[in-house]
Amino acid sequence: MQNSLLITEENRRFEKFRLLKDRIFSFVMGLGGVAVIAAITLIFVFLFYSVFPLFTEAKVGDAKYYAHESSDDILYLALEEYAEIGLKVKSSSGYEFFDTSSGDNLLTGKILSENTSSLTAFARGDLRSRVLLLGTSNGYAHVLRPDYAISYPNDLRKITPKMTNLFDPVLADDNFAPIRLIAGQSVEDETTIVTVSSDADVSILGLSVESSFFEEEANVSIERSNLNFEGKTISQVAVDVEQRNLYVLFSDGTLELYDVTDKTAPSLIDRVKAATGEAKVTTFEFLSGGLSIIIGDSAGNLSQWFPVRDKDNIYSLVRIREFAPMEGSVTTIAAEYDRKGFAVGDSAGNFAIYHATAEQRVYFGARDGLVASFMSMSPRADAVIFGLPDRKIGIFEVYNEHPEVSFSALWNSVWYESRQEPLFIWQSSASNNDFEPKFSLTPLAYGTLKATFYSMLFAIPLAVLGAIYTAYFMTPRMRAVVKPSLEIMAALPTVILGFLAGLWLAPLLEEKLPGFTLALLVMPLLVILAAYLWNRIPKSWKRFNLEGWEALFLVPVLGLAAWLSLIMGDFIQVTFFNGSLTHWMSTEMGITYDQRNSLVVGMAIGFAVIPTIFSISEDAVFGVPRSLTMGSLALGATTWQTALRVVLLTASPGIFSAIMIGMGRAVGETMIVLMATGNTPIIDLNIFEGFRALSANIAVEMPEAEVASTHYRILFLAALVLFLVTFIVNTIAEVVRQRLREKYSSL
Amino acid sequence: MNVESEIGQEVPKIAVDVSSIRSDSTDESLQTGESPISVEVNDLSLFYGEAQALNQINLRVPQKKVTAFIGPSGCGKSTLLRCFNRMNDLINTVRITGKINLLGEDIFDPSVNVALLRRRVGMVFQKPNPFPKSIYDNVAYGLRIQGSFSKTVLDEAVEKALKASALWEEVKDRLNESALGLSGGQQQRLVIARAIAIEPEVLLLDEPASALDPISTLKIEELIFELKKDYTIVIVTHNMQQAARVSDYTAFMYLGDLIEFGDTKNLFTTPEKKQTEDYITGRYG
Repeated sequence: MQNSLLITEENRRFEKFRLLKDRIFSFVMGLGGVAVIAAITLIFVFLFYSVFPLFTEAKVGDAKYYAHESSDDILYLALEEYAEIGLKVKSSSGYEFFDTSSGDNLLTGKILSENTSSLTAFARGDLRSRVLLLGTSNGYAHVLRPDYAISYPNDLRKITPKMTNLFDPVLADDNFAPIRLIAGQSVEDETTIVTVSSDADVSILGLSVESSFFEEEANVSIERSNLNFEGKTISQVAVDVEQRNLYVLFSDGTLELYDVTDKTAPSLIDRVKAATGEAKVTTFEFLSGGLSIIIGDSAGNLSQWFPVRDKDNIYSLVRIREFAPMEGSVTTIAAEYDRKGFAVGDSAGNFAIYHATAEQRVYFGARDGLVASFMSMSPRADAVIFGLPDRKIGIFEVYNEHPEVSFSALWNSVWYESRQEPLFIWQSSASNNDFEPKFSLTPLAYGTLKATFYSMLFAIPLAVLGAIYTAYFMTPRMRAVVKPSLEIMAALPTVILGFLAGLWLAPLLEEKLPGFTLALLVMPLLVILAAYLWNRIPKSWKRFNLEGWEALFLVPVLGLAAWLSLIMGDFIQVTFFNGSLTHWMSTEMGITYDQRNSLVVGMAIGFAVIPTIFSISEDAVFGVPRSLTMGSLALGATTWQTALRVVLLTASPGIFSAIMIGMGRAVGETMIVLMATGNTPIIDLNIFEGFRALSANIAVEMPEAEVASTHYRILFLAALVLFLVTFIVNTIAEVVRQRLREKYSSL
Repeated sequence: MNVESEIGQEVPKIAVDVSSIRSDSTDESLQTGESPISVEVNDLSLFYGEAQALNQINLRVPQKKVTAFIGPSGCGKSTLLRCFNRMNDLINTVRITGKINLLGEDIFDPSVNVALLRRRVGMVFQKPNPFPKSIYDNVAYGLRIQGSFSKTVLDEAVEKALKASALWEEVKDRLNESALGLSGGQQQRLVIARAIAIEPEVLLLDEPASALDPISTLKIEELIFELKKDYTIVIVTHNMQQAARVSDYTAFMYLGDLIEFGDTKNLFTTPEKKQTEDYITGRYG
C-alpha cells in the first residue's frame, strides 16, 4: 500500500509551489520588518554622522620652518586669505612677501626710505582691515596696509601682493622723541593713532579724510590730545576697531579704559586690576570685532573682559570669564579673524586654541619646544604663522571647524558680548562678519516644552474625559458614529490646522479674548444646569430611554454657552477695558500679548493630538472587562464610583500610554508651531507670548544654513535631540502598554 | 475554552446520591412560616424586549438558609437571581412585571436607591472578578464606597471578612499584593470576602464554582455551609450534586417557569413533578 505521507507524482508540483509561496512570503515579511528597523537606524546614524564633527577636537598639523637669514628681529607676520602668501616686517623696516609653500621671496621693500630714523614701535590694527602702524625713533607714525590683488591668468589664481602707505608719516610726538608704543585703527575715512613716548606720555590723534570733487588731493584733518601718566610705566596700548575705546595697560597690572570718541577730550571710563594675584599681565589682544579683550599673564591665566553697560548707562570693564590656564607665562595671543576664537603661545613651549563664547580650549599641545614671540592666525583660521626668538619663522595648519560648540554654549546661560548679564539666546546669524553667533538650544527646547505643555493642557482633559464618556456611558449607537468621526480628525493635515490657527483663530482670539475666558466659566455652569434639568425630566419621558444620549442634547447647550460667552465678553470688553482687553493688558498690567501665542498653538496642537489620545484611551476604557464593572455595581457602588475607582483604575495604564503617544506627537509637531507662533526664541511662561520650538527652528533655518557649517550641524543636533525625546516618550508609552497587557492578561 | 461545559460533562447523568444531602429543612417549616422569609417573589415576569424570560414566578426564600436554583441552561435561573439585586437594570431592553419584596420592602419601588439595595443584597459571579488592586483594597472596596472609614475599622472588617471566607490564613502576609496573583479558587473566595465585608442580608451566588477545579469547588461549598449561619444565600448552579450538597431548599426552573420548589431532600428524593424527576435523573439538561 502506498504511504500517504510521501509526496507522490501527482501532488509534487502543488507541494513545491506551496513551499515556494511560503518561503517568498516569509522572506518578504522579514525583509519588511528588517527594512523598518534599518530605516530608523539609518536616520539615527545619519544624524550622528552630521552631528559628530561638532564634538571632535581641533587638530594641528606639523610645523614647517622657513630660513630667515637677516639679523633683524621680526616685528610682524601675517597670512593672506588663502594662506598662500606670507608677510613679514623686520625691525630694520624692511618687509617681505613670501610664498608659504616654497618660502621664495615674492616682493621686498622698505618702509622708511631715509636712514635718519629707525623703527621703534609696531602694532597691528583690526585684522580684517589689515592695517599696520609703525612708530619711528624721531616721533613719526606710519600707517600701512598690505594689499593682495587676485587675478586669474590662464584660469589659475594669481595673488599679487603690494604694500600701500595710507598716509604720509604723521608727526605724533612734537618733541621728535622716539615712539615707544603705538596703537591705532584705520577704517574707511577715520583713523586713530595712539602713541606712547618715554614712559607715560600718550598722544591721541584722530585723522579724518575729507575728499572733495574739486580737489585732486584728499584733505586730511588732524585732531589731537595728550595724556600724561606721571610716575607710571605704560606697557601696552590698544584702540578698538570702532575707534571709541582706548585700553591702557600699566606695568603694575592696572588696566584703564578711556572713551576716545572725541579725540580732543579722552575721558576715563573704568580702571581695573587686570592681573590675577601676584602674576603680571604680559599681553592682551582684541577678539574679532574688537568688543572684548583677552588678557594673558605671567602665570598662564587667560581671561576675557569687555565693557558692560549697567541700568544707568554707565560702562564698567568686567572680567567675563576665565579660561583653562597655560603652563607657562603667556607670550603671545593671536585672535581669529571672524570667530571669537584665539590662539595662545606660552613660555613653556605650549600652543593652545580657545573659543571665548564656548568657554573652552579646543586644542592644547607642546609644539617642538616652540616659544613663539609673535603669532598670527590666517584669515580663515586654518593656519598659524609664528616667529621664534631665534628669528626662525614657522607655519602650521590648523583643523578647527567647530570651536563654537560646547555643552555650556548649547545649554547654559552665556554672557555674550555687549550683554548686561549671561543669557540664553538663540541667534544663529547676523549681517556682519564679526558677529558672535549665539547657539543656545535652551530657548528652543523651552519652546518645544511650552508648546507641549499648553497643548497637553488643552488636549488631555478633553480627550481623556471624552474617551471615558464615550466608552463607558455613551449609548453604543451614538458611539458607533462618534468614535470613527473623531479618529478621522487625525487625518487632517497639520498644515491646515496651522493655517487656521495662525490666520483665523489667532486674530479671532485677540479680538474675543474676554469671551474665550468667560467660556471657561460659562460652559461648565451651563453644563451643570443642563445636567440638573436632565434629572428633572418627567418620568413619563423615560420610555424613550434617553440614557447614553446625553451628549447629543449637550451640543445645543454648548453652542448656547459659546454664544452667551462671546456676547458677554464683548459687553465686558467695551464696558471695562476700553474696547480691547489685550490692549488694556499690555498698557495697564504690562502683560505682553502676541497675536500668535502659546494659547493659539496649544489649542491647535491640542486639536491635532486629541484624536490620538482619545482613540487609544477610549480603547483602554472600553477594554475594561464588564465583569469588573458588574462586580463593583453589585457591591453597591454607583455608576460614577465604579467609573472612577474601577474603570479608570484598570484603564489608567492605557490612558497613560495614550497621553505619552499624544505627547510624542506634540513634541515633534512642526507646521502648527511654525505657522501659529511668532517663532521668537524667548524664554517666558506667559501664555500670551510666542516661542520658537526645536522643530520649527529646524524648518526655518535649515534652508539658509551653509552646508557643513557649525550652524548646519547644530540644527542636526537639534533634530537629534528632538528625535531622542520623541523616541524616549514613545518607548515609555510602548513599555507601559506591554506591561499593562501582561498585568491584565488574567482578567 | 469554556470551563463550565467541561465540568458540566463530569456530572454523571444519574440520580443524585441522596446520602450527600445535608439539608436541615423540613417542608413543614416552609409551609408554616416557621423560618422567616427573606425575599418574596410575587407574580414576577421578565421580558428581554419581546422575548419572555421569566413567567409568573412565585417564590419565598427563607432567611439564613441556602436556596439553590437548578435547571437546564437558559431556564432563567440566573435572570431570576439578577432580579434580586436589580442587576437586570443594566440591560436597556429589560421589562419587569410583578413584585419582589426584600424583608417586606418592594425593591422595584421607583424611590428605591439601587446602590443601597445592592449593598444589602451582595452578589458573586460565575468567574472570579477581583479588581486590579491589592487583596486588602479589594475587600475594603465595598466599605470605602459607602463613605470614609477609619483605618482601624477597615482593618477589622477586612480581617473578619477574609476569616469568614476562609482565606485569611493564606493571604494574611500579603494583603498588599495584587489580587490578580491569587489562584482561581482563592480569587473566588476573595470575591466572596469582598461581598460579605459589607455585611449584606442576602448573598447571591451565580454559579460560583463552575470555573473552578474540584478542590476549590469543595472549599467554596464548605464556605457556603459556614456562611448560612449569618446570611441568606441563594445559589444558582448547573451541578445538581452541588445543589444537593449545599442547599436547604431547591427550586427547579424550566423554560422560564418555576416548576417545583421545596425542601432539597424531598425534591431530590420524591419530586412531585415529572419534569423535575426527568431532570434530576438526567433525562435532559
